[in-house]
Amino acid sequence: MQDLLVLKKLTKRFGGVIAARDVDLNLEGGMRLGIIGPNGAGKTTLFNMITGEIKPTAGTIEFEGEPIHGLKPHHISKRGIGRTFQIVRVFDEIPVYDNVLIGALARELHFKPTQEQHREVDETIEMTGLQKYRDVMAENLTVSAKKRVGLATALATKPKLLLLDELMAGLTFVEIDEMLELLRKINGEMGITLVVVEHVMKAVMELCERIVVISSGEKIAEGSPQEIANDKKVVDVYLGEEERT
Amino acid sequence: MEIFLLQVGNGLIIGSVYALVALGLNIIWSITDIPDFAQGSYYVIAAYAAYFVVTLVGAPFLVALLVGMCVGAVMSFSCERFLYRRWRERTFRGAARVQLLCAIALFFLFANVANALWTSKAKIFPAYMKGSLLGFSYMRINVLLAAIILFVLVYLFIMKTKMGKAIRAASMDLGMAQVLGINIDTVNSIVFIIGGALSGAAAVLISPLYSVFPTMGDLPLLKALVVVILGGFGSVAGILICGVGLGVLEALGAIYVSSAYQHGYSFIILLLTLLLRPKGLFGRV
Amino acid sequence: MLSVNRIALAIILIFLLLIPHIASSYIVYVVILALLFSMLTASYDLLTGYAGPLSFCHAAFYGFGAYTSALLTLKTGLSFWLALPISGITVFLFGALVGYPALKLRGHYFAVTTFFFGHFIYLVFLNARDLTRGPLGLGGIKPPDSIFGIDFSGMTANYYLILIFGILMVGFLYALVNSGFGRLIVSIRENEDLAEAVGVNTAFVKVMAFSISAGLAGITGSLFAHFFRLLHPSTFSWMTSEMIVVMALVGGIGTLVGPIIGAGVVTFILEMMRFAPELRFIIWAILLVAILVIEPRGLAGIYARIRGGR
Repeated sequence: MQDLLVLKKLTKRFGGVIAARDVDLNLEGGMRLGIIGPNGAGKTTLFNMITGEIKPTAGTIEFEGEPIHGLKPHHISKRGIGRTFQIVRVFDEIPVYDNVLIGALARELHFKPTQEQHREVDETIEMTGLQKYRDVMAENLTVSAKKRVGLATALATKPKLLLLDELMAGLTFVEIDEMLELLRKINGEMGITLVVVEHVMKAVMELCERIVVISSGEKIAEGSPQEIANDKKVVDVYLGEEERT
Repeated sequence: MEIFLLQVGNGLIIGSVYALVALGLNIIWSITDIPDFAQGSYYVIAAYAAYFVVTLVGAPFLVALLVGMCVGAVMSFSCERFLYRRWRERTFRGAARVQLLCAIALFFLFANVANALWTSKAKIFPAYMKGSLLGFSYMRINVLLAAIILFVLVYLFIMKTKMGKAIRAASMDLGMAQVLGINIDTVNSIVFIIGGALSGAAAVLISPLYSVFPTMGDLPLLKALVVVILGGFGSVAGILICGVGLGVLEALGAIYVSSAYQHGYSFIILLLTLLLRPKGLFGRV
Repeated sequence: MLSVNRIALAIILIFLLLIPHIASSYIVYVVILALLFSMLTASYDLLTGYAGPLSFCHAAFYGFGAYTSALLTLKTGLSFWLALPISGITVFLFGALVGYPALKLRGHYFAVTTFFFGHFIYLVFLNARDLTRGPLGLGGIKPPDSIFGIDFSGMTANYYLILIFGILMVGFLYALVNSGFGRLIVSIRENEDLAEAVGVNTAFVKVMAFSISAGLAGITGSLFAHFFRLLHPSTFSWMTSEMIVVMALVGGIGTLVGPIIGAGVVTFILEMMRFAPELRFIIWAILLVAILVIEPRGLAGIYARIRGGR
């Protein structure tokens, strides 16, 4: 079976800085993949290249067998890749319901949103635990609620692949567990492939089947959570940082 | 050939005016992210002030020039202090637009006040110097000379003085500059004072050549904005070159293409430049 | 919409329908001006209030529609009833042509560029003497050809014509703004990068909003041309564009009804000042600054504040 997402020798240079160097990745559909690494390693850059926010300097990105590198973000979104952002983004001065509805309409535009769409938006809002914020202006929410709005909006676009950038940052332990349950549901029941960039180790270890470790733009390790935890290179990269500071 | 040189000369002179206003606009825009349209109206009021100083009090031109610069500086400073500053922190989403709209409102306001007070009939500014060189009156040449002197002064100020360094720091990274202890209030005030003074100078220098009237600031403001966008936000010299260059291109276009659309050329040049080089010709930001 | 608003709307509509029968022709004339400006501010609001970009060239599209319609009927003898939609479509296409490159610019750059563009078009009106007769003015424009036996040479008939078009235009805008596409337009204003990331073709939506806004201004221009029957470039200068901005702001952009009320209010204030023409512009400049200082969201913002909003 063809891999859902294939990165081949993906490279990004910003002037003299190499943010990503020859990154290879093969992602099967249905998988839960984690991407970890020290700050500034280039994880968000990878996301940005996949979703079209920036163009790769070299290398290719294929989604469902078709090249998508260099396409505009809205094209890539239409092909079935959704994401959330590290610095949370919402449509500020409209209610949560309208936020999610925009996601649905972007996927399938109607002159008047259909009953079906309204129902799906309601379901998505319920699934992400946002019912009580349904009519609240998005800008008035806490950061963690806004993250859920971002997630709900992305879900409304009916993605096949969901890229989540530091979704767990700033959440309490209880909230992390709730989020993990939600993500497992999204992956298991809805069949959406997940790629999460995370610093919260507990979340990555519990959720992901496979983990990729990025440091200074390069992939230095890939394997199951067990393998990664025992990988000397990975430990060095993290501990090494601590020693220097 | 003679006509060509004559037009180039005219272009240099009017281009100096554009460059002076553009320099002020540029510094203001790069620090505060406000395209200060109001400079076009300080221009007008400064010209009238200089006119009255010369005709009512009989002051020499240099005094009139200084008066014009002071009037421009004071008006510019006041509008920043009491209006733009209210929205400096940009606490709500439309704040940047509010500043722009305020600038445009002030632009129309003072120009129309001039119209109401002194009618639209042009006032002839008395000549302050006789004689000419190579077909250009000394008054014309002075415009270019004064512009160069002012440019050099501003350049030295920005590059060599402590305040100038503070201004440069603020234009690169406002937040960082504040953290480093630079007083943004002071920087803003100085920057607007400089802008107003430059607009005033430009207006007074050109008045003996083209007379004083309420809408005299319209076109120089537009052209100056073109220069700012063309020149990008990086370099003082770039502003001078673009300003003078635009003046020359316009003057040549008026003779060789069509004089009717003379004022439209700057727009076309702007559009082409923005399409090809969205950061401007010398831009860094 | 609450029933208070619906009752108010009904009252206003009835009032507007009765005006030619209860007021002097001078008042009718002023209301026509207010209606025309309402159409301009409403179409302006689609772009600036709903999509987001601040533009200063609306009067240029107004003038483009006016001159196009006038010239079509004068030079080719085409009927007003065809010239109107053709002008609208022409200005729509022109808006798309200009908007496509211009909307790649963000923020202040876009606003300043529209300022230049508006002035440039004004210069064209002023200098293309063969077509527009420049400052001499383009006159002799005929009123709309009579249909259904109605003669349009009088003020009353024109009043109702413009009123009907105004209602149609506002109705169209209301439907558009509340439609699925309208929500996509709003998404751009709220967070353009996010909109792009969730699959909204932001370039297309922006250009559409800009072009529709322009096209509607063009239709308004056509109505004006055949009502006023004399066109002068100064009617379509940047002052007029600025006036439209002020009216929209006074009312409150992004609400559709706000700019319409703003148009009405400002038109009447300015007409009351017509004895002192120089003061008129000073008044609206001061008005603009006052609005910005007190409540940038305009009357709609004040209304929201009173009702316990933000």
